[in-house]
This record gives sequence, structure tokens and C-alpha cells, in this order.
Amino acid sequence: MDGESAEVVVIGSGAGGAPLTHTLVRAGHRVVVLEKGPLLRTQAQSPTGLSDFKRDECFATGSEKRITVQGVANTGESYFSSHVEPDLNDEPHVYRDSDGRDRVTIEGYTAQVVGGGTQLYGGVSPRFTPEDLRLATLNASRGDLRDDPGGEVRREARDWPLDYAALEPYYTKAEELVGINGTWDGQAKVPSRDRYQPPLEPNPISAYAAAGMDALGMRRYRTPLAVITRDHAPSGRTVPADTDTVKTAFVNRYGDPLGLKSNAWVSLLAPLRDVNGSGGLDLRANCTVTHLEADGPRVTKVHYRDPGGRPRTLAAGTVVVACSAIESVRLLQLSGLLDPAFDKRVNANGLLGRYFLTHCFGGAQCIVPERSDKSKTLDSDWATDHCARPEWFRAQGLWAGGVIYNNTSDGALPLSLARTWHAMDMDTMWKGYLYDTSLVGNGFEDYLEESFGRRLSVAFMANQVPQRENRIELHPSVKDKWGRPVAYIIKTWHPHDRALMDALAEQCRQILVRGGDVRDVSSGSVGGSVVRIANHVLGGARFGTNAGDSVLDPDCRAWNFDNLYVTDGAFMPTSGSANPTLTIEANSFRVGDVLLDRVGRP
Amino acid sequence: MKIEVIEKDDQYILNHCTKYLARESRDARHDFGQYAPGDERAAICEAWRFPVVDAHWDGSSAAGSYPYNDVTFVYDGRRTAPASVAVLGTFGPLHSPVPLRPLVFAGEPTGFFATTVRVPKGQVHTYKFAVDGDYTLDPVNPQRTVLDNGEPWSRFFTDACTVPLSLSRTERDLLGRLVCHLLPFRLDENRRLIRGVYESLDRASRDEEFPLAYLLDDEVGTVNYIDKLIARQEQHHADDYHTCLKIIGEIIRSRFGGLDPAAAPAELYADLYRQMETEKVDGWDYSRYGSPRFFLLLLRRHAMTGAFVHPKHGGNSGAAGWMYLESRFRDARDGTLFDWRRALESPLGHNTDYRG
Ligand SMILES: Cc1cc2nc3c(=O)[nH]c(=O)nc-3n(C[C@H](O)[C@H](O)[C@H](O)COP(=O)(O)OP(=O)(O)OC[C@H]3O[C@@H](n4cnc5c(N)ncnc54)[C@H](O)[C@@H]3O)c2cc1C
Repeated sequence: MDGESAEVVVIGSGAGGAPLTHTLVRAGHRVVVLEKGPLLRTQAQSPTGLSDFKRDECFATGSEKRITVQGVANTGESYFSSHVEPDLNDEPHVYRDSDGRDRVTIEGYTAQVVGGGTQLYGGVSPRFTPEDLRLATLNASRGDLRDDPGGEVRREARDWPLDYAALEPYYTKAEELVGINGTWDGQAKVPSRDRYQPPLEPNPISAYAAAGMDALGMRRYRTPLAVITRDHAPSGRTVPADTDTVKTAFVNRYGDPLGLKSNAWVSLLAPLRDVNGSGGLDLRANCTVTHLEADGPRVTKVHYRDPGGRPRTLAAGTVVVACSAIESVRLLQLSGLLDPAFDKRVNANGLLGRYFLTHCFGGAQCIVPERSDKSKTLDSDWATDHCARPEWFRAQGLWAGGVIYNNTSDGALPLSLARTWHAMDMDTMWKGYLYDTSLVGNGFEDYLEESFGRRLSVAFMANQVPQRENRIELHPSVKDKWGRPVAYIIKTWHPHDRALMDALAEQCRQILVRGGDVRDVSSGSVGGSVVRIANHVLGGARFGTNAGDSVLDPDCRAWNFDNLYVTDGAFMPTSGSANPTLTIEANSFRVGDVLLDRVGRP
Repeated sequence: MKIEVIEKDDQYILNHCTKYLARESRDARHDFGQYAPGDERAAICEAWRFPVVDAHWDGSSAAGSYPYNDVTFVYDGRRTAPASVAVLGTFGPLHSPVPLRPLVFAGEPTGFFATTVRVPKGQVHTYKFAVDGDYTLDPVNPQRTVLDNGEPWSRFFTDACTVPLSLSRTERDLLGRLVCHLLPFRLDENRRLIRGVYESLDRASRDEEFPLAYLLDDEVGTVNYIDKLIARQEQHHADDYHTCLKIIGEIIRSRFGGLDPAAAPAELYADLYRQMETEKVDGWDYSRYGSPRFFLLLLRRHAMTGAFVHPKHGGNSGAAGWMYLESRFRDARDGTLFDWRRALESPLGHNTDYRG
């Protein structure tokens, strides 16, 4: 099968790869999708009638493993990962900690499985606001930005090369084809058409968050969630007779055995299996792309390892890279390492890997008086755009805003409650609980009494200031199981990010304080930790109108290549005031239309 | 005994192979202390996943499917390219090996071989591969056992297994005392509650809903969970248990006037915990095990998990941990505030859309 060729090759089957694949295959094209992870099927899809995902807390966070990577500061430490996260000893991400030492981390990975991070995501799916796409313009004449003595915020803010109106039809398309429930009333974004399915009844614990938002005059809406609550015609999925049973708390970090969570596989790729224009979808799971080969401005070959690890090549007409931002940048850098001419093209201006972004995020939590059954939830019930509005963030001396929503599935099940107790990030899973040695006997009783079904948290997700020094590189010494350098994450927070996080964390705290007779309210953010990525892996190959200032052109095509596109979160020049996936999907649908112009419309 | 071979497509099996087996590196990246130096399995990621033990579905009923697992044997023949591979084991008649078929990707053999058989839950079996007619141990699976005749065999166990595999009787008794102190069930009120839950089940529902519950005690199967965990996923912690249980047994015995530590009063255990937390335990032999606190933390993670884990992992016996939460937390109308049965597969839970 070597000597094979394909008109279009898409690398990565997640939020960035699936939507454009959907567009192209529906238009009658053959697309080869190379996906590193397994093809885990739902019960209905599986020939044996059993899903590869389970409602089992050990799937989200498995047994203990230890870091054996040498030459880093956390060699020998324990870590716990899900069954679809890569193994850290085989394929680590390394970050430079604030003490200057390198550590291995599970942060910065989404999930490696057909569907990518959307298999595990909480499905919180708000749009970005129109302002998010024009932060340079919006801040150009500001002299009042807090904690920005050097003026970096204004200097580094970027407008997107397209405006909200250009993206809007694709948001609508994504909402319809992916399958999202929620409500529009109260949102700061206006849809051209309402494609939401109706939400399910909120969990009673969310009433405290709703009351707090009301007391503060924050307009609220039901958090848009990528979970179907009605039969979904575009993907052919159906819901159980009792739709309330869709709420199980096995949401965030769990794949859905029934496929009701709208991940990129069940929503966008699985429905293509019956489409066979000129070959349709050729999905190859368990295939890791190792590098691209180019001849001048054309990528000619994709090199990959098949499920047994054997090297193979595929000649390609058009190549789309969508491995999630860190891995996409790394793939391009690895290709450049093997061929200086490739490197020169893809990184002519030295910006590849630069302006890596995540979200400013944090929130507040408390103990509420009345217990609820938190096992009957999706990931969130109420959201507010109050602090995403320009009136609000301007008044606060901030450059941009963020969405706020309450979490419902956090600590909902007994093991997740324990292992996320005081855990600051993925790397400290279990540690808070273990070091709190008072949690034995009677202490354990008190802990359950206070925590089980009574912990409520409210989170914010906001724009991070783009900084050139925040970047992805190839690590100088650590290699993956194929002998290739691993990704090296170097990032910090700008002082303005910290100011913004403090302001938003305070708003979250207020929501809880005003929400009722709550206690033990605490708030915080990731401002003190450089490793946190919140699974939101963005930037590093930003798009723009100026070839000297961006890696991709407005169509997400690499500037000096004719046929190379990047469509995962890497394209973002700013990270938006909301969770990123719906926007990644909308943009991928947009690029799908661009590609149709290349390869031909039906 | 007839072997029921289950059809799984190659995709299913490759899904369980690539991440764990495909690699170029031969480094001992996955040795956390469970392997002897030079053991090739140290290069394999999560080698314990083989053979793959998964749920079984007979195509029609939960009741008919629940007592079984599907067990998939994988042989990695990528380097040696054997012509034939079969598996022979105590799960079937010992005179008829089950052939493994070559797995194919894009029309070409991958070098992997596999077959899936149905095996009842709660069992332990030994097996070997016949590779071109020669019997060999499974080169991947870390679980091995030496039979009475001195022969080493590869071993696996199915879900909800209660056959002791790692810990001796004495170790289990002592461990039971240790974990009871960590869990809430030992408190009188809760103990009554759990007993009550069990007693309220009539015979039929006990058989139907909890066919695999074997015994009820204050540690709700946590000891069994740990026994299984250190036999498989966390084999690298087996020595922590053997060493520390020995030291702790000696300490409690000496503090308890030379009597059986398993019968010592709860306060002795409470004192011990307090000391372990501070790393200063009177009578602890630090030359044998450096950090009593490390062991305490390990024990706490395992105890918590064992009490509330899905019962297929051998803990939370008969879902007693969940039933405790279910009855402990009620709303004003005495409805439960932990309705775990709603989401979980029948017959363990009440959900018939999800099959487990
Ligand atoms: C636990 C969790 C909760 C989340 N919750 C939310 C949420 O509520 N809302 C939200 O908006 N976002 C959420 N996210 C983030 C969301 O998953 C990501 O934003 C989204 O998946 C990113 O899309 P992507 O295309 O960039 O990458 P992905 O969707 O991750 O897709 C990348 C794919 O590329 C594959 N790949 C990588 N390298 C290679 C290679 N070399 N060869 C072949 N394939 C490769 C990967 O296996 C993966 O399947 C969450 C993520 C996680 C993990």
C-alpha cells in the first residue's frame, strides 16, 4: 500500500480535523484521516453491542504510574491518567516550571482517540463574542489598562483576520451539526438561527449560582452543552426514552458509551461512514504521523506509523494538520528538523510555536446548606456573559473579558470527589486528599458530610494576553518512544493576566456569597501556576493578514506553502472569552468551504 | 467444558495494541520497580492490560451477559513472524488450544495475533501460548504463577474476582484492620446502616442484583481490591505491602502484649496512624522500609478507591460503599441523594440503556 495517494489527508480527528472532513466528504470527496488514537465506539456502533467507554471512575483517572523520564525535576513522582491520554513515559510533554526546572506534565494534552479532546470534554460550548475577535482595535487607544506598565497588552493584542459576521454562519452550522443544548436569551452573542436543543432540568445545587447571578444583576442563560437532549437528525443519534437519564455526571474526562455527548466522532465523522462519493471517509485509527515531507512549496508526503508501528507514507494533494496545538506545532517543527528547507518555509519569521495560549481561568467554590444529588448532572447549568461585555471589562481597566459558569459534575462521584480534593491540576490528582491525613474515621465522616453533594463551584474562562515568549519548542534532550524530541512548553502569565484573573475570581466569589446561606467560600485562579492549561491548547501557529506577523494566512494555510493547512486550536491569535471548542469547530467548517474551492464543489 | 469464542473485529483489538505495544524504544520506561533488571516487559506500556478483560454481551439480556467477561489474548509476533499461534489454558479443555488469528491493517498483516473467549467472572486462570507448536509464557503479561510442579505459567483473572492472589491470610487480616480505620464504615452507626442495607435485601434480589457479593464486612471488599490491584495494575506496590504489613504486624503485636494483631483494639491502630503520619513510629525498622508515611498515603488512596470503586474491580463488594452513601444522604422526603443505580448497568444498577 505504499505508493498510495490521497487528494486530502487530515491529521487528527478532533475538533479541528472533523468538521472540514465532514464538509469535504459530504461534497463527494475522499478524505484520509490519520488519527493517532484508537477508534473507540459507542454501544450502538460496536459490532459486539458494548462500548469501549464505560461509566467507571477508573476510566477517567487510572491506576498509579511513575514518571521515569530522566533529566527532569519530577522523575519518580506518581501520576494518574485516563485511558485515552498518552503515556507520559512514552510521550511526555515537558514544561519549564517557575523555578526554572523542567518537569513532565499531563497538562497540554487533550485526548488521543478518534474525536480527540471532544471525547473527554465537558462540552461547555459558548461562542466567542464579537469583541474577542477585535481586541487590538478595541484596546488601541486605551491608557487605563491595569498592570501593564510596558504597554505589552496593547502592543500584543491582535484582531482576527475575520470578523464575527464572517464566522457567524459557521457557528450556526456547528451548533446544528454537532448537537448542542442551551438557551440564547441572556447571551451577549446573537445567533442568526437558533439551532440549540432544549436543555434538561438543572441540578438543584445550581439554584445557588442562579440566585447569586440574579442578585448581582448578571443576565444568565442555560450553559450551552454539547450533549443531545432530543433525537439528533444530522448525526442519526437518538436519546433514551427517559431523557433525564442523560444526566449521569460521567461527563468531564469520560467518553460517553451511549454517544449522547456530541463529540467530533459521533457527530461529524461517524455519520460519514455511509457516504461514498468518490471513496468517502477513509479513517485510519492508531496511526501516528511522524513528519511531513515537502518539495518546495508543496507538501508531498505524509509519513506515519501504522497500528503495528511500521513506517508508511501517503502522497497527499492537500494536507491538514489538526493534532491539537502543541502536537501540531511539534509535528511541523519535527518536519523542519529533518529538512531545513521545510523549516525555512514553515518558520520563515520565527513565529512557529510562538504566542502559545491557553485561558486565564479560575473561580470560586463553597459549601451550600442543602445537599443535592450531583450524580444527576451534565457539566454545567448556568452561565453569564456579564463579564464578557466591553462595558464591564473597560470599567475594570481590563483588555478583555470572560464567560462565567457554574460546574455541576465536579466531585459528583465518590472517587472524583476524593482525588480532586485540593488538586490544583492534572499533575496533583489525589495528592490533596492524601496529604490531608485528617480524613480518617470520624474525619472521613465529616468530610463526606460537608462535601458530598454540597460543593458548588463557579468558574471563569477568559482571554490570555499573547506573549511572544510563551512558546512551544522541541525539548533538547527528552525523546518519545519513537526517538523523536518531545514538546517543550515554556509559558508565564502576564501581570495583566493576573489582574484579570483576580477580578474575575472575585466576581465568581460574589456569585456564591450572594447565592444563599453558603459557607467556606474560597476563590482563586491559575495565576500562580505556569503549568495549568485547562485542556485549552491554543495558538502557536496563529493566523493573520500579515505574513510577517503570523504563521498562517486567513484561510489557515501556512504562508509559504501551497497545500498545508492547520485547523486545530493553534490558529488562534487570542484565546477568546469562552471555552474554545465550538470556535475551533466553526473555523474548521469555514476552512472546509475554502478547501471545497480548491478540490472542487459538487 | 466448551470454549465460547467471541468475534471481535480487528479494530477492537488494535485499539488495545498500538498505544501499549508499538514502539521503537527498548528502554525500561515502564519499570516502577515491578521488574527484575533486564526484563523486556519494562519497555511495554501498561503491560498489565494483557490479556484484555472486558464486559460481555450476549446480544439479548443483561442477566445472561453479566456473569461473563470477554477475554482477548494478544500475541505480538511482529519480530518473529510465527506461522501459527494458539492459546492453551485452564479456561478451556487443556487438550485443545484455541488458535489466534493474524490481525490485519489495510489488507496487510500487522504481526499481531489475537482471539477472544468468554470466561465467567470471578475466576483465575493460567495459560500459555503455543507459538509454532512451542509452548511459551505470554511475553507481555506481567502476571505469572508457578504451579505445584514448579512450572511457571502466565495468569489472568476476571472481574469481581475474590480469589486471594497477592496477600497471605495473615496479611489480609491485618490489612482489614488497617483499612477499617481509614474508612467510615467502622463507626457503629454506619456499621449498623450497612448491615441493615444488606439484611433488607431479600434472597432473590441479593442473587439478582449482587450475584458476586461474597461477604460483607466493615471493609466492604477493600482488602480484596488491594489484593487484585497489586497483582496487576500496581504490581510495583506489592513489596510495599509485604514489607510494611510485616513491620506493622510486629509493632502491633509487641504493643499488644504479644497477642494476635488482628484482635488488637482500634486505639492501637489509631496511634499507629498518628505516628506513621509523622514518620516517627516507635519500633519501626527503617532499614527495611524508609517511609511509613509513604505507606500510609498509599494505603489511604487504595482504601478510598477500594471502598467506592466499581465492584468489578474487586472492591466495593456488593456495591456496599455506594449503598452506604445512598442511604446516608437523603432529602426531606427520604429520597436518596446518591442515586447511583440510575446510571449504572443492570443488574448491578437499574439502567437498561447502558450495558456496562
Ligand atoms: C477533560 C477535558 C474537558 C474539556 N472540556 C471542555 C469544555 O467543556 N469546553 C470546551 O470548549 N473545550 C473543552 N475541552 C477542550 C477540548 O477538548 C479541545 O479544545 C478540543 O478538543 C481541541 O481541538 P483540537 O482539534 O485542537 O484537538 P483535539 O480535538 O484534541 O484533536 C487532536 C487529535 O489529533 C490527534 N493527534 C495528535 N498527534 C497526532 C499525530 N502525530 N498523528 C495523528 N494524530 C495525532 C490526537 O490523538 C487527537 O485525536 C476539554 C478537554 C478535556 C481533555
